Amino acid sequence: MLVAWRYRKRKNSFIQSFDPRAWIIFYACFLFATLSFWDVRFLLPFFVIAIFTLITSGVKWHEMRRAFLFIVGFVFFFAFLTFLTGRGGSEVYKEEHLIREFRASFSILGWTPVLKVTVERAFFAVSQLVRVTSIAVMTILIPYSLNPALYGITFKGIGLPDKFAYAMDLTMRFIPTFGRDFQLTMDAQRARGYELDKISGGIIQQVRKLGPVIVPVTIHAIIGSEDIIDAMDLRAFGVGPRTWTDVLTYQFHDRLLIALGVLILVASIVVGFMGYGAFWVPEALTKIFS
Amino acid sequence: MTSPVKPLVVDNLSFRYRDRQGAAIHNISFETKPGEILLIAGASGCGKTTMIRAINGLIPRSYKGEMAGQILVFGEEVKDWKLSQISQKIGTVLQDPERQILGTKVLNEVAFGLENLSMPRDEIFTRVDEALNFLKISHLRDRETFNLSGGEKQKVALAGVLAMRPSILLLDEPLASLDPASAQDTLDAVRALADQGMTVLLVEHRVEDVLRIHPERVMFMSEGEIRYLGDAQGLSKVVNYREVKLPAEQIVTRAKQDPPPVQIKILPGVTSSQLEKEALVKFQDVAFGYDTEREVLHGINLEINRGDVIAVLGPNGAGKTTFVKHAIGLLKPKSGSVFVNGRDTREASVAEIAGMLGYVFQSPSHMLFAPTVREELAFGPTNLRHPKEQIEQEVKEALKIVNLSDNENDPPLALSFGQQKRVSIAAILAMRSKILVMDEPTAGQDYMNYMNFMDSILQMPAFEAILFITHDVDLAVIFANRVLMVNEGRLVADGTPQDVLRDFDRLKANRLVPTSLLALNLEKLSATGRFMRAEALAHV
Repeated sequence: MLVAWRYRKRKNSFIQSFDPRAWIIFYACFLFATLSFWDVRFLLPFFVIAIFTLITSGVKWHEMRRAFLFIVGFVFFFAFLTFLTGRGGSEVYKEEHLIREFRASFSILGWTPVLKVTVERAFFAVSQLVRVTSIAVMTILIPYSLNPALYGITFKGIGLPDKFAYAMDLTMRFIPTFGRDFQLTMDAQRARGYELDKISGGIIQQVRKLGPVIVPVTIHAIIGSEDIIDAMDLRAFGVGPRTWTDVLTYQFHDRLLIALGVLILVASIVVGFMGYGAFWVPEALTKIFS
Repeated sequence: MTSPVKPLVVDNLSFRYRDRQGAAIHNISFETKPGEILLIAGASGCGKTTMIRAINGLIPRSYKGEMAGQILVFGEEVKDWKLSQISQKIGTVLQDPERQILGTKVLNEVAFGLENLSMPRDEIFTRVDEALNFLKISHLRDRETFNLSGGEKQKVALAGVLAMRPSILLLDEPLASLDPASAQDTLDAVRALADQGMTVLLVEHRVEDVLRIHPERVMFMSEGEIRYLGDAQGLSKVVNYREVKLPAEQIVTRAKQDPPPVQIKILPGVTSSQLEKEALVKFQDVAFGYDTEREVLHGINLEINRGDVIAVLGPNGAGKTTFVKHAIGLLKPKSGSVFVNGRDTREASVAEIAGMLGYVFQSPSHMLFAPTVREELAFGPTNLRHPKEQIEQEVKEALKIVNLSDNENDPPLALSFGQQKRVSIAAILAMRSKILVMDEPTAGQDYMNYMNFMDSILQMPAFEAILFITHDVDLAVIFANRVLMVNEGRLVADGTPQDVLRDFDRLKANRLVPTSLLALNLEKLSATGRFMRAEALAHV
């Protein structure tokens, strides 16, 4: 059986005060608008919107702590990695202004590790952090705030055909179901003396040793999908257009939110075409380190 | 005068799955009447589920293979019907409601089929409310489906089918995961549906429970064929009482002609001198909640001692599995402590405890992964670093106990559900832990198989204590020497089966239903001094 995310109706939640279709449309606009910028000055308003949404969401810290720390930790890790290696950012800047260079006191097969701290790398890491954190925060809030019973009608309401809308509904619920099955499998194998953290050997050997977890989780997911298809077939799914018992109605503030989202997206595209929003570093800093 | 059209006619039906050798069912022929309940019984793998799949159209549409014969629904052959057409005439409720429920809320779930038929919303709401009212679960209408108990889920799955107003209802082991009271409620609802004119085909291992609602006919299947088709009274005369669970009085009558059963020695490895030693497992004021807002276990205090064979009984969702998961350290108490062999579970890994306490999970599909049954069974002992020669011996013995010696080279995932369940039990038996904990070991198993493996497990000298969670009161009557009753996260009774199970009010309060075997044992208790199986009571 598919399980749902930990949704609940929350008091005074800003995000929950909107029709879910309006929020999904706003989120999509936010996502594409954010992705059109690398300039940290342009990204900061998006970051502010994301933090405002987070604070006013009504989601308690203990509810989302694990997911939040995992995703934000992941973002920090990759931003730091980009900063160290300089890779990724080289696509958006051509020259670098060295602040300081750290050279290792040892060599590996004749290669000496060097860390170059440049103005561009530092600003790229900050921009990347702001950009991805804004998107991550807005994304994390969706499963905690949108009623799973309305997933299907939400996607139907934004224009997807019945089959796709229901498929989206099932997909949204597949992720927490997969998490539950993974945990159950881990528990079952631990009860047989299996210890994931003590796996050793080469990469191929390590992957093989993950079999006791990967195989049951995969098979369970496949069997689960077949069960879902059978259950849907046995109740006439897909024979024609379907009625949705839930009805969503736009209010004035929902239309306002959609208009705001579309406005932000259009403005971002126009600003981009005008040549603004590309990667930026303060000119003063480049002069100091030139 | 012309005879009325039969709701269902199955004529010479045979089917072989594409990837298997040999037909799963052959030459099945029968017909049904309106308002009739047809109970279909038989061992695991006898072809019951295949027959149901052929009738509801999943065969050959979802399950491919060679099919012969014909199925007529109200006089029309359904071979060329779309599944959606069939589903409006024939409703199916699967064994595990978890595999059938799609909606996140009860209302959405019950309305699902009607939405697919594009009915007007008002009509959908009317039909949903009718189905919920009929099953007396209107109070669940706005609840989330994944928060329901097993019994509630089964009724919601049934409501989803009933809302489509089928003329024929197929129920594939609907009682497998239900507590006795929920099973009785479900069966009462089925009887009421049949009395209103619906034709019901009910596949079930729990024959005795179904006989209470007086099915008009019973079919007994074996090796893909019908061995018996007739009234319920005739069943007990033709089937082996060791194969099908019949009411205790009928077993007693039949068993009188046979020699008395050999009395088994329970936990032969436990000597009287060991009984005085410290408890194997100790729960001290254990409280637990999956989140901070709701506690699901409250102040559990108990000891599991050497020689204990404990049956844990209680309603669906009472906290039984949560309770036993603390014993192996998969869950750690929020307050209080659990000690296994004197060691606090907070200070030991699950893998370390596994050497001492083996735990068989409810669902086998979460653990099976190996290419062969033999390798699957060797996995646990290998992790526990048993010597190679010893592992071979352990695997062989475990396979023998669960009657799977012929399947040692088969892939576990290709076996039937009942066989997979036995593989999961054997996988833990092979680890030779001192304590064996089993979560619903007999669910979905046929009577003969589970009686045999329970007998064998209890006679294994390696075990010092055994604990099993069950909804089957008779399992507690026959095998346990101690009964724990758990309800709403509390231990509400702890004592010998004779003491705990004699109080029928307490059974009722904990959604348990007295069985014919329990009643007969209580009647003869002054003569026997202990609970016995029906075959043994025949010779008292």
